[in-house]
Amino acid sequence: MGRIVILPDAVIDQISAGEVVERPASVVKELIENALDAGATAIEIALEAGGKTSITVSDDGTGMDRDDAVLAIDRHATSKIKSASDLIGVATLGFRGEALAAIASVSKFELETAPDEDDASSEATRLIVEGGRLKDVQQTARRRGTTVRVRRLFFNAPARRKFLRTPATETRATVAAVSVLAFMRLDVSFKLTNDGRSLTDAPRVSALGDRIESLFGRSLAEGLIPVDHHAGNVSVRGFIQRPADAKPTGRKAFLFVNGRPFRDPFVVRAAEAGYRATIHPGSRPTMFLSLGVPGDTVDVNVHPSKLEVRFRDRRFVEATVEEAVRRALGPIGAAAVVGPGADWLPEAAAASTVAGAGYPPSSPEGSRGSAPSLFGVERYAPAHAEFFVADGGFLQIFDTYIVMQTPDGLAIVDQHSAHERVLYEATMSQLNGEGAPSQRLLLPLTVDLEPRELEAVEQNRAQLDAIGFEVEDFGGRSVVIHAVPNPHPRFDARRCFEEVVADFARGRFGGWNNQLERFAATYACRAAIKAGQVLEQREIGTLLRRLFGCELPPHDVHGRPTIVQLPREELERRFGRS
Amino acid sequence: MKFTITREQLQEGLIAVASTVPTRTTLPVLSNILVEATADGVRLAGTDLDIAVSTVVPAEIEAEGAVTLPAKKLVEIVRELPSAGIHFSASGEQRVTLECGRSRFKLLGIAPDEFPSFPTVSFDNAWKMTSADIQNLISHVVFAASTEESRPILNGVLWEMREDRMRMVATNGHRLARMDIPVSGGAAAADLIVPPKALEQIRKLFGPADEIEVARSDNHLGFRAGSTHIFTRLIEGPYPNYEQVIPRDNDKVVTVDRQALAAAIRRVGVVASDQTHRVRLSFSSGLVKFSVSTPDLGEAEDEIQATYDGEPLEIGFNATYLLELLKVMPTDEVRFTLKAPERAATMEPVGWDDPASYLCLVMPLRLVD
Ligand SMILES: Nc1ncnc2c1ncn2[C@@H]1O[C@H](COP(=O)(O)OP(=O)(O)OP(=O)(O)O)[C@@H](O)[C@H]1O
Ligand SMILES: [Mg+2]
Repeated sequence: MGRIVILPDAVIDQISAGEVVERPASVVKELIENALDAGATAIEIALEAGGKTSITVSDDGTGMDRDDAVLAIDRHATSKIKSASDLIGVATLGFRGEALAAIASVSKFELETAPDEDDASSEATRLIVEGGRLKDVQQTARRRGTTVRVRRLFFNAPARRKFLRTPATETRATVAAVSVLAFMRLDVSFKLTNDGRSLTDAPRVSALGDRIESLFGRSLAEGLIPVDHHAGNVSVRGFIQRPADAKPTGRKAFLFVNGRPFRDPFVVRAAEAGYRATIHPGSRPTMFLSLGVPGDTVDVNVHPSKLEVRFRDRRFVEATVEEAVRRALGPIGAAAVVGPGADWLPEAAAASTVAGAGYPPSSPEGSRGSAPSLFGVERYAPAHAEFFVADGGFLQIFDTYIVMQTPDGLAIVDQHSAHERVLYEATMSQLNGEGAPSQRLLLPLTVDLEPRELEAVEQNRAQLDAIGFEVEDFGGRSVVIHAVPNPHPRFDARRCFEEVVADFARGRFGGWNNQLERFAATYACRAAIKAGQVLEQREIGTLLRRLFGCELPPHDVHGRPTIVQLPREELERRFGRS
Repeated sequence: MKFTITREQLQEGLIAVASTVPTRTTLPVLSNILVEATADGVRLAGTDLDIAVSTVVPAEIEAEGAVTLPAKKLVEIVRELPSAGIHFSASGEQRVTLECGRSRFKLLGIAPDEFPSFPTVSFDNAWKMTSADIQNLISHVVFAASTEESRPILNGVLWEMREDRMRMVATNGHRLARMDIPVSGGAAAADLIVPPKALEQIRKLFGPADEIEVARSDNHLGFRAGSTHIFTRLIEGPYPNYEQVIPRDNDKVVTVDRQALAAAIRRVGVVASDQTHRVRLSFSSGLVKFSVSTPDLGEAEDEIQATYDGEPLEIGFNATYLLELLKVMPTDEVRFTLKAPERAATMEPVGWDDPASYLCLVMPLRLVD
């Protein structure tokens, strides 16, 4: 009897704070979102001891008048929605009206705000709150905007405070949170300091490439390929890393839907699937992808921290992301670039950011708002196919590379990697389809194998046959090959067979978990024209035409480039013509 | 060294030798021609280390001696000179003066002792034959040799010398050409495996009327006609047993017009894949049908008349191989013999008025239905 009580609001706020406020980084995120919702164009974040001592976020947004300011720290006080129906396709970052209340309930909280100058009652207000209790409301003076200072986070919740990590770790988490938001709004400047030391200094820019550069440095920015694709009413734009630059560790994956950041391992995996057979299976490519879907097909209100979303048609979204990545990897623009390509990348990215808007796009085509669109990029010149592969005039250098002109510059093709890509795609379709034509031999080849290798032949017999190796057991350790594939005029069938079988016996290419892909990659690698092989003009022409007829010409199957390009811009820059 | 030679004599000699001089080489002396004044005339020689050519042209010798001169420059100079006597004189081994009328050139050579020595081949027991016979063999067989480096033997052409015939055979393992020419005179039997490059030189340098002597040392073969010698290294055997793979039981025989066949293959071949050039041939009574289908590209069909009354048969081939054979077939009509889709096909000339006998063989490509 009498054991159940209604909790006072302050306690409820503390409990709900558990969901919204975990650590300094989440406080910063909430405060920045508020600033963005208030139309800020410059946001400064200052931490002390990684935010454990204090967190200050200042903006130049619309600010609040005295009444609104007092209301703002109440739970479920929001100016952003009025009824449940507004929740569908909500366009602001905040809408639950609980962030300030939650933060204020677990810290020593100060809010200073001055509304828009052209508001008649323009004057500044300062609130002082401690553990959720409003201590004082003062009148003050300041420029337009809002500054929130959060000191001694969790001072009244020692159990939670205990979970905070070292200042360095908390700082790192905050940098990551700020980065996500900085990608959403190129038109807003972000500055982050910890104990006075500058960590992020991202000025307003109009191209995503520039923002990536200010946040992560030039070399990462230079290694990116633009993505721009839509299918049905789903659009995918942004940047992904060149396969050759993808590493097993240190990957960055930034996802946005309708301008809102979210986390989703399945979407990341779909993007990785788009890289299939262009990177080593263990490599993790960096990606910045912005999805546009109709507001009523995504639910962003799944979890209070708002990082999870629910798509109505998840399968289609994932398929579109995969396809977008795949397409982005195809054009020759996705080939590795010689020289500092920095001039080149932001330009490509800038090309259409002017197209304006799209934050948050309510549909792929439609747009509203006036902020420059973040991820708007023109699709890079579709350079596929034979348009520019002439019939001769190729230069083969070091008997290994082919130099050719493209519409946008110079391409240097690695003959082995290029042929490997060609054969990989051809082999995959042969394995999945009707098999390859196979040349019968006048003089069958007898090959002696080790037991392990014989076993490998046995295990891959169907695939060997499909690509054209007709293998007959000869008794003992020998097999006889009656027919062979004929992928190029200089093909050495015996050597290729021996190497492929040895690769399987030794478990090379073990990272490929799909057996067909693994087989195709192994065969392509062994059957391709080798480096050091002198080629005739005609052969080069055929190779290049087949390469550009591939789905993904610029990348081989091990995460190496097949093409290195020297853009015309770069040449012109070097010769002082630009 | 001092001699005078007519421009025509010199040019003739240079043309014979210069084609062996490699255009790119890491050994500088190989881009030079050896010019040696001897009692018999001026000996010119060039080599790329695989093949060596030398020839002697008449000249008025004042002092014997030898130099080497850059082949390209020498050929260009001689081409531009008027038709008159050219006077060569060397001071030391490397400075050569060329005078012709009022033109005067000084060329810098490389010491002749750096020039590779030629193989010694004795022509005492040489095979003797007409250039026309060799040309006949070369032009019908050499094309079939392999250009791929994994089986060096197949890069060579087998040349069998027998008492009553000589034969050349070449194959790349996918197709084969074999030709016999009857000979009388009964020289020693031998199996020689000759690099095609050397045979190509023979074809270029010897006129059809030349009588040619062919002799071998341990691992070299020498050709001699008049004062011109060609030497080549031989490829070590044994050559694979090709006889056993030539089908003898092909029971389906098709006779067809060579040009019509080639034209049809070329037409449908346009849409064949760059990689395999696969065409499908269907033989039925009185008809050959051709079809090609390449995913992502398209399809083509064609047909021509043929003399055939056997069972219907479908078989795939690499169009390139068929066209190569048809190009060298010496008659307007050819005979195709077949057995089954996975068995070798043969092609022979029909009604050839040459004592030679000629047979080509081509292995099929697997068809997928
Ligand atoms: N920096 C700011 N500038 C102007 N107004 C602000 C600012 N921060 C908060 N507000 C006002 O205070 C209200 C409450 O903010 P709070 O963050 O608690 O809720 P919210 O943003 O509406 O929703 P959520 O809980 O999802 O963040 C906002 O709706 C907004 O009107
Ligand atoms: Mg908020």
